[in-house]
Amino acid sequence: MTTPALRLRPGAGRQLHGGPVTFVVLAVAAIVSLFPLYWTVVAASTSNNRITRTPPPLVPGANLAHNLKEAYTQVHMGTALVNTFFVAGSVALATVLFATLAGFAFAKLRFKGRSLLLMLVIGTMMVPPQLGVVPLFMLMGDLGWSNQLQAVVLPTLVSAFGVFFMRQYLAEALPTELIEAARVDGAHSLRIFWHVVLPVARPAMAVLGMLTFVQSWNDLFWPMIVLNGDNPTVQVALSELGQGYVPDRSVIMAGALLGTLPLLLVFVVLGRQIVGGIMQGAVKG
Amino acid sequence: MAAPALTDTHDAPAPVPQAPPGRTRRSLSDWLDRTAAPYAYVTPFFAVFAAFGLYPLLYTGWISLHRVELQTPDRREWVGLGNYTEMLVDDRFWNALWNTFTIGVISTVPQLLMALGLAHLLNYKLRGSAFFRVAVLTPHATSVAAGTLVFSLMFGRDFGMINWLLDLVGVHPVDWESGHWTSQIAIGSIVTWRWTGYNALVYLAAMQSVPTDLYEASAIDGASRWQQFRKVTIPSLRPTILFTVVVSTIGATQLFGEPLLFGGTAGARGGTDGQYQTLGVLLYQQGWALFHFGRAAAIAWAMFLILILIAAVNALVSRRLRRA
Amino acid sequence: MRTPRKGHPGRTAALLCAAVLATGLAGCGGDGGGDGQGSSGGRTTLNLGLFGVMGYEEAGLFKEYEAQHPDIRIKSTSTADEQNYYRTLQTRLAANSGLADIQALEVGRIREVATVQSAKFTDMSTAAGVKEDGWLPWKWAQAKAPDGKVIGLGTDIGPMAICYRKDMFAKAGLPTDRQAVAGLWSSGWDAYVEAGRKFKKDYPDRKVAYMDTASGLNNAMTASAARQYYDADGKAIYKDNPLVRKAWTLSTQAARDGLTAKLRQFDTAWDQGFSNSRFATVVCPAWMTAHIADKAGPANKDKWDVAAPPAGANWGGSFLAVPATGKHVKEAQALAAWLTAPEQEAKLFEEQGLFPSSTGAISASGVSAAKLAYFNNAPIGKIFGDSAKSIPVAVLGPKDGAIKDSISNGIQLVEQQGKSPEDAWKATTKTIDKDVIG
Repeated sequence: MTTPALRLRPGAGRQLHGGPVTFVVLAVAAIVSLFPLYWTVVAASTSNNRITRTPPPLVPGANLAHNLKEAYTQVHMGTALVNTFFVAGSVALATVLFATLAGFAFAKLRFKGRSLLLMLVIGTMMVPPQLGVVPLFMLMGDLGWSNQLQAVVLPTLVSAFGVFFMRQYLAEALPTELIEAARVDGAHSLRIFWHVVLPVARPAMAVLGMLTFVQSWNDLFWPMIVLNGDNPTVQVALSELGQGYVPDRSVIMAGALLGTLPLLLVFVVLGRQIVGGIMQGAVKG
Repeated sequence: MAAPALTDTHDAPAPVPQAPPGRTRRSLSDWLDRTAAPYAYVTPFFAVFAAFGLYPLLYTGWISLHRVELQTPDRREWVGLGNYTEMLVDDRFWNALWNTFTIGVISTVPQLLMALGLAHLLNYKLRGSAFFRVAVLTPHATSVAAGTLVFSLMFGRDFGMINWLLDLVGVHPVDWESGHWTSQIAIGSIVTWRWTGYNALVYLAAMQSVPTDLYEASAIDGASRWQQFRKVTIPSLRPTILFTVVVSTIGATQLFGEPLLFGGTAGARGGTDGQYQTLGVLLYQQGWALFHFGRAAAIAWAMFLILILIAAVNALVSRRLRRA
Repeated sequence: MRTPRKGHPGRTAALLCAAVLATGLAGCGGDGGGDGQGSSGGRTTLNLGLFGVMGYEEAGLFKEYEAQHPDIRIKSTSTADEQNYYRTLQTRLAANSGLADIQALEVGRIREVATVQSAKFTDMSTAAGVKEDGWLPWKWAQAKAPDGKVIGLGTDIGPMAICYRKDMFAKAGLPTDRQAVAGLWSSGWDAYVEAGRKFKKDYPDRKVAYMDTASGLNNAMTASAARQYYDADGKAIYKDNPLVRKAWTLSTQAARDGLTAKLRQFDTAWDQGFSNSRFATVVCPAWMTAHIADKAGPANKDKWDVAAPPAGANWGGSFLAVPATGKHVKEAQALAAWLTAPEQEAKLFEEQGLFPSSTGAISASGVSAAKLAYFNNAPIGKIFGDSAKSIPVAVLGPKDGAIKDSISNGIQLVEQQGKSPEDAWKATTKTIDKDVIG
């Protein structure tokens, strides 16, 4: 099995040392990237009146706990966090599972209409999410699912990108001989999937799962339409905070912080692996 | 995200050869496994897509031919192409289309150029390069909602941080939200902030897979670093660049959360004068603020047609590039 | 598009936390509505769907009711944004599921629901303990459907006054005493704007505007007329109503003369304008006083005062309605009647600044003698009470809220975008005809 690290080697030999200019430019880029997040913390930890002071506050204040609590209670942030973990978790799991299955079939199994179907999968990436919302909303209403989590989970259980991603990965990373050998031993394709494909696919599955989780966590358009403020996901709760009637800007920022914190923590802990994963996905093919 | 979308769908690896014939007992189930199982594996994708993608797509088309209101969903009035003709003579549709285009350009072009530059710099051996990579990617973990809330505070007219900084260097405060271009620049900067690092990493990955000998060869020819970047790096990155352009374009066409939340209480209007109302926001306003489902459906189909157009143009361009 | 009234000010939401925890896992399972949660352990659970801050939880009214009725348990969910609330309510009405036992309705929506969907609600006029003369007649009439049903009981109303900065008036050489200030504009809204011209001329700091928004002025002027956007037959007449035009002309003129702070009410910048003292007056309905106190903050205490308005007008207010499909219609009606009864409405005014629509509450001594400490101890009971008495019996229409919203936006076209009042009027009427009425 080829690891992503090995895959990246070819260019690595060329790496030149960067000078101080490179360092400074990158430092500026890092500051610009991180400052809004830092300022979220500053704003979330101060009071409404201090945010609007000129010059604006640049160091955190003492109200963080109070503001977090306010944000938490005002827009059902507790429900939102639990809901979003549930939604993003089940969407990520299902997407990875179905994408790996389909990716395996597209990459390594022979069947009639395979390339046509694969083209179809890629074609569906073109369908904008906005397109189906009107009937989808009416459908959910008819099913009695509006404002319920399955209305958010079900439509996103699969992803064309995921299928394609796994197909590309398995086409390269899964040696055909391995499957042949298992076939000769009389193994069924499902068995092969379980014992041969899954172990090979694991790194790509992790990347896909992570990307899907982040995307689902941050999804706004459809959840905002089908869910209501009393049973929201994190993003719906945040947009309620942002659009709605709330007492305090610092509370809004505290809400933004609450909604982002879980993902940021993942980034802090797994940052390097995530960077590797995204680059791996980009290099594939 | 994966550059392959534009490259190698045709050179799929050789499929598993048929097992040697003549093994009897398990042959039926074997046969089933070979013919039916693959379809079973791709079925979940197509089933879910049919239910929640294709069906709504077609149904949207049907709804767009009616007058349907949220309050009375069972009362549908056939209007034929009425919603479309009405849309085409409505200034706000053209305004939203144009805004979608201009905000798209503002948020995509500088973003991809900066990403390319950043990738180039990140490709150098450097102390703390791992930190830089994570740092520029971090905005991507921030949701549209959270990011927009911070930026709209920083772009505030009276007490925003950006106007304060401008004031320090003697520039008069800017009313970011109510100006046409200023609001679009502010929204574009949110998009740019969230996506530049991500695209930089995609480019970086592509740069690192450029074969070393290409560079060695050009070095022997006496090419400078800049010439190497132009003559070797950029051409090798062409498929990746094209891919990011396509993804960004699709994203820009569907832009919704940033303008909606940036506007605060005027969000669904896309600003008092609709100065940053995109097609996505217009669809939301018609459908979910004014409850005109038929009109919203017509806008949705218009967006779909625009995307198909973009895809066609992209296919043409990439074919020419491949030939070149 | 949103109705101007975002809800009630001064939220503390202390008890919401418990509600969140209680519904947290249920929310995960996805049940946000009232179906399937009937009686548990011999107790009946009543669900309330509210928006903004309606003050019940904060004033401890639910606890009080539960203590009086041991067999009832009350659960309420509140949506911050009324626009989102109404959209969900409409979906649930269409689907006939997920409705709460009691649903709140905003005044800008009440005619739409009453004319289009009265069949889906119970008749509150026949509920036990409800008498028509218990409410202001016009409030009662607003919830009356064409078929004679009364679909909602009035909660609060929004009689308006002028909230003003005493210290700024002094600096501009204007009177500061609330009687004298009211005298400045007793002849009408033109005089209110005229006082603004003097303020602008004499106030030392250019950054401080006379009033917060031109749309607030327009809104108040229109609301002080009996005929506004619709006629009695339910026809939209806003375009031809000279009063609507007059309000438009006066408020856009005020904007062009630089008397306004060029803000949008309930936007961040508006809130920041309070805390940073950027304007001297706001046309304020009773429920806004708590919002002002909250936003302006302790630093500006006693600088604000309240004066009688040029004319009585109403802005905002809500109703409690009981959907007909509920499992506990009787119990829900009883709770709605109790929450809108004089004692409770009086308490909501004293604690939350929500001016009662119940006649019994309005005349209660606690209400009429109420003073507001933050506003220099202004006798708000008397000021808002007098204002309430002079509110005309207005004719409302189904899209009142949406029209008002569009007109406010149109005024901002002049105020913020520098459009001419004529162009802005044309654009606005075109939008209303297309989007709201069409």
